Amino acid sequence: MNTTTHLRKASRVADVPVERRSFLGMVAAGAAVVGVPALLTGCGSSDAPQGGEAAGVKLEDAIPSYIPQEYVEPDFPSVNGSTPGFASLPDALVQSVSAPPGSGATFVAMTPLWGTIPPTKGNKYYEAVNEALGSTVQFQIADGNTYGDKLATVLASSKDVPDWVCVPNWNLPPRFASEIVGNVFQDLTPFLAGDKVKDYPNLANIPSDVWKFCVFNGRLYGLPMPGEVLTDATFYRQDVLEQLGISPDVKNGEDLIALALELTDTGSGRWGAEDLWTTAAIIHAVPPKWRLDGDKLVHRIETEEYRAALAWNAKLFASGAVHPDAVAGQDGDAKQRFQSGKSLIMADGLGSWNEALRDNLGANPAFWQQPFAPFAGDGGTPVLFKGNPANIYSFLKKSDDEDRIKELLALANVLAGPFGTTEFDLVNYGVEGVHYTKDADGLPVPTDLAATEVQPTYMFLVGGPIANAKVQYPGYVEAASAWQADAAQYLTDPLFFGRQIAEPQQYASIGQPFQDLEKDISRGRKSLDDLEDAVQTWKSSGGDELRAFYQDILDKE
Amino acid sequence: MTVPLLHRRRPKASDAERPDGAAATAPSGQPRRLSRRAQIARDRSLLIMVLPAVVLLAVFAYVPMFGNIMAWSSYSPYQGFFGSPWIGWENFERVFSNPLFLNAVGNTLAITAFQLVFFFPVPIFLALLLNSVLSPRIRTTIQSIVYLPHFFSWVLVVTLFQQMFGGAGLLSQNLRQHGYEGFDLMTNPDTFLVLITMQSVWKDAGWGIIIFLAALSTVSPELYEAAAVDGANRWRRMWHITLPALRPVVILLLILRLGDSLTVGFEQLILQRAAVGVGVSDVIDTFVYYQGVVYGDWSFAAAAGLVKGVVSLALVLGANKLAHVFGESGVYKRA
Repeated sequence: MNTTTHLRKASRVADVPVERRSFLGMVAAGAAVVGVPALLTGCGSSDAPQGGEAAGVKLEDAIPSYIPQEYVEPDFPSVNGSTPGFASLPDALVQSVSAPPGSGATFVAMTPLWGTIPPTKGNKYYEAVNEALGSTVQFQIADGNTYGDKLATVLASSKDVPDWVCVPNWNLPPRFASEIVGNVFQDLTPFLAGDKVKDYPNLANIPSDVWKFCVFNGRLYGLPMPGEVLTDATFYRQDVLEQLGISPDVKNGEDLIALALELTDTGSGRWGAEDLWTTAAIIHAVPPKWRLDGDKLVHRIETEEYRAALAWNAKLFASGAVHPDAVAGQDGDAKQRFQSGKSLIMADGLGSWNEALRDNLGANPAFWQQPFAPFAGDGGTPVLFKGNPANIYSFLKKSDDEDRIKELLALANVLAGPFGTTEFDLVNYGVEGVHYTKDADGLPVPTDLAATEVQPTYMFLVGGPIANAKVQYPGYVEAASAWQADAAQYLTDPLFFGRQIAEPQQYASIGQPFQDLEKDISRGRKSLDDLEDAVQTWKSSGGDELRAFYQDILDKE
Repeated sequence: MTVPLLHRRRPKASDAERPDGAAATAPSGQPRRLSRRAQIARDRSLLIMVLPAVVLLAVFAYVPMFGNIMAWSSYSPYQGFFGSPWIGWENFERVFSNPLFLNAVGNTLAITAFQLVFFFPVPIFLALLLNSVLSPRIRTTIQSIVYLPHFFSWVLVVTLFQQMFGGAGLLSQNLRQHGYEGFDLMTNPDTFLVLITMQSVWKDAGWGIIIFLAALSTVSPELYEAAAVDGANRWRRMWHITLPALRPVVILLLILRLGDSLTVGFEQLILQRAAVGVGVSDVIDTFVYYQGVVYGDWSFAAAAGLVKGVVSLALVLGANKLAHVFGESGVYKRA
């Protein structure tokens, strides 16, 4: 992979599989910046075999042709791959799909959600989108924090798999590429590869890098929700800090711990921070998976950066600035604590920014969370690893019925409408007059119903190219675009960037002990010496073989 | 009480009390064997009544048991039971050489032993206490109150404890507001055993008294009256009447508990796994769940689960035997 990022809208990438488990956070979504919280607990499979390339198969042969179409010029153009921002809605929306393509059938889709599950009965948002689709998509929504566990169970019984399944990249179960994908899901190559995608112009509008990430074993299986290059950030409650008269000036890791301590006032039930493990990994530039030291491959768990991140997080916990419920591992409630002001610093996916505004501006118009500008733990130049080209994708259940697959792809084509189309408008904002009204400037103002009904559901199935068009929250697009443009200068490609590599399945769980160890060391239950032991165990139980496996891939290039 | 039924011998054809008199009695008084068909015809209604339970047990317990064969293969859900390659005892070797499994076994045994001493007797004491309350109204009120937590899910129980005893919980915050240090009971691995036992007692001790109260209610008041007339005081009455009446139930429950001893609160532990770490909270059940379902190593997990099943069976059989040695009827007795 080249290290220079393309400025094309298309090229966002990379994930910070830093720890897939807590990285839920990073997901910010494609067409709409949908937030997914960080710190999910317990998604298994840190070293899940990723899907992959098959010997002798060219990725290019499996992916659709790229036929870009731009409906609106962004107000804040992409910088180094960052998400382009749109501060206003175009005067006239274009309907990109002329008639609802559905046959009136009903399809069951399974998606995660980090929030309150919307009602099914009388849901005007579902009704409106299903009408635009012509068929009904019925959602089975599961808690995003434990989605990985649920997926592992559902996918083990191939006949019970829903018609359309959303799979976040960090939740890929072990053996996904080697066993699951080919047995359970539909190979989309014959339907979409090359010019066949022309039947679905909105899918053809998704950049090639994103599609490449949906290829497993040389075949195209996934429908992507394109991901952003910048995925996670450390947020603080700017509104509360202003009330306290504190203006944060954080230049290094020590500053952040000091700030968290300063903000802690246990008597009034307020703590400085949540578990900042994601932050620790980012500010210490822990590589997502592998790094090349000279000509030797080094796994993230073997790096000094990883040690430093653990030491820093342990120091944060030891300082007493972390909310006790976070110490008790109750990550599911982290957002709620942060948003209600019980904790004031939290690492989360960038997409959580606008979701927090959606959920809080009604009751607290002053609510504002702001990410710290990127900094390095030692005060030097920060290094940010690019996010995957797609962090969430969806798969269609295997079927012999070609028409059924074609219909589902036609529905996906509707949902992938880019910014500037009526489809995008409907999926992201809901129905005018019901989920939003337009203010004097023509910007949509969400109604109360929007907060309950317009949750990311269809958005997690497939999406058009990334765009930040959350114009309904005053000042948000500007602030997010400015932060991204600044942070984008520190972006770098991780090794094996943007590729699905199928690891041999025997290494599926050797990385697992580290997820527990990260928690234990952070909370002072184990020390960095235990890390040494764990690394030795990892090496002898397959880590060195895994290194050879990756070395082999490097050598062949 | 169900106990007497359990060790009652199977009704034989000799059942002389049968109202219909169908079971003819041989002149000698010895039973005459009925043909299988006649037995079925005679017990038809009983057999029909037992049928749903048998079907349920077969479908949800016995049929799935055949799935255990995956412990000797490298199972993949997509290749099926017979399509997966057989690998002999390899999974079992991995199980016994896995330090995480040994850790889980250690934790399981520690929790069982601790709870046997500090949890098991609590319902007995509560039952004795309640039994001594004379006013039926007060008794039922207390009973209802202590039953109630049994119907809460573990999620609720753990949340409640977190809200009370957590670092930001009610008690801690109160202490802090009055100038004392706060404390955090929920994240201390050293006191985790005490914590989960407290939770179990709070949730289930009330429920556990039902069976003891039922046993106590079978004791004829005349026995107490007679003993009192003979000059036995309160303690002697309890020692010589109440406790002997409870003994068969206590032994029965103890045996059942032993069979369950490797099953210690899956939900309760998985919910608090992150709070105290895997070191003290991983038990056999959570180990099997993570290895099998979450990491997809089905065969390995099945082997671990099977080991647990075999040990549990041995424990039940052993305890039952022991009960016979002490003259109790235990869970069952060979006819």
